[in-house]
Amino acid sequence: MWATEVNGQVLHFHLAGINNQNFIMRDEETGSWWQQVTGEAIQGPLKGQHLSPVDYDELTFSLWKRENPEGRVLRPDDAIARAGEYATADWDQRLAKVPVATSAKLDKALEARALVVGVNANGASRAYPFNALAKQSPIIDELGRVPIMIVMADDHKSVRGFERTVDGRQLEFFVKPDVSPLRLVDAQTGSEWDFSGQAVSGPSVGKQLNRLAVLNDYWFDWKTYHPDTTLYQLGQK
Amino acid sequence: MNLARGGKRNRWRKIGWLTLVIIVLLALIIVAAPVLLIQPFKPQTQRGLAISYALRSWSPYLTLAALIAALLLVGWLWRGSRWFARIVLVVMLLPLVAVTWFARQNHFEWMFRPLQHSAYAKTAEASFVGDADMVLAVKINGESAAYPVRLMAYHHVVQDTVGGRALVATY
Repeated sequence: MWATEVNGQVLHFHLAGINNQNFIMRDEETGSWWQQVTGEAIQGPLKGQHLSPVDYDELTFSLWKRENPEGRVLRPDDAIARAGEYATADWDQRLAKVPVATSAKLDKALEARALVVGVNANGASRAYPFNALAKQSPIIDELGRVPIMIVMADDHKSVRGFERTVDGRQLEFFVKPDVSPLRLVDAQTGSEWDFSGQAVSGPSVGKQLNRLAVLNDYWFDWKTYHPDTTLYQLGQK
Repeated sequence: MNLARGGKRNRWRKIGWLTLVIIVLLALIIVAAPVLLIQPFKPQTQRGLAISYALRSWSPYLTLAALIAALLLVGWLWRGSRWFARIVLVVMLLPLVAVTWFARQNHFEWMFRPLQHSAYAKTAEASFVGDADMVLAVKINGESAAYPVRLMAYHHVVQDTVGGRALVATY
């Protein structure tokens, strides 16, 4: 998700090609080519410029609905829907069988098309496999010397990242068992926090954890565009 | 003397034919190279992308120039050609017309047609999204918008303004 204003001009983007399985966009105004995953202009008059990222979430519709009852949702195009060209419900399983083309050197630790959550903090990048999050959530970690936490919601699909320093104090979190929707409890104050990172009861009530952008991605794609990334493995701290 | 002039004329006609063949081949290469260099499921290189960008940028002009030059040549060769040579001349123009047209197309948008007029539903009325479906979600200045991933996996690019901020949702 990118802001489209560049040097005071709003750009309009079109799908224009593919670079190692990540697509290229072309803007109508200058004709430059932009890499979707990095927001960087890779060819043309604006080469070297970056689009500003817009904070966004990748969530299940049910979770988003609960948090945003007054929102709006993009409608399908009738003609394209009638032609049956939109992805089907099982499209991700089918895509998992599509071959991989990448220049990245992949770890043997993880399959190329394994789903990961990619996180950047303070210049460092790390990928957290979905499988690891399914077994252990939240993952309490430190990245680029920033204390962070990666949390999977109780739908087992939606993931968010947070910094876990509040008022200069590092907090450790665990999931409150047997409640829905998800509640986190911090070990230091015993406060309860919801999935949006807000303390809803206890001494910290009203406090908000800083959000950290996370990207749901394939391991090979994340690695291609973040070559220095590390890979989180369960049991590592 | 007549014979000598005729020989010279023949040589020029041969050069004319050769030039026509070269123009058609060059135009084909200029248009085909970027298509081959940026195929899905093949790795791309920085150099390949730079070449593709240059060719894609110039091919609308180059193909048009090639077409005009070829038409002039064909016009000149037409007179004095036998009927079968004239058929060959026409057949050689066909691929040139095709690539001149193709150089003005975005074939990636044939496969994934862009959303011309994006429309939105209120959350409560969005029956076209399943509860377990993923959405890309933004909230800016109190305005919330969701882009279902199943739609995004087709369009890839959706332009919007949320909370007064112009943005592009990509997937």
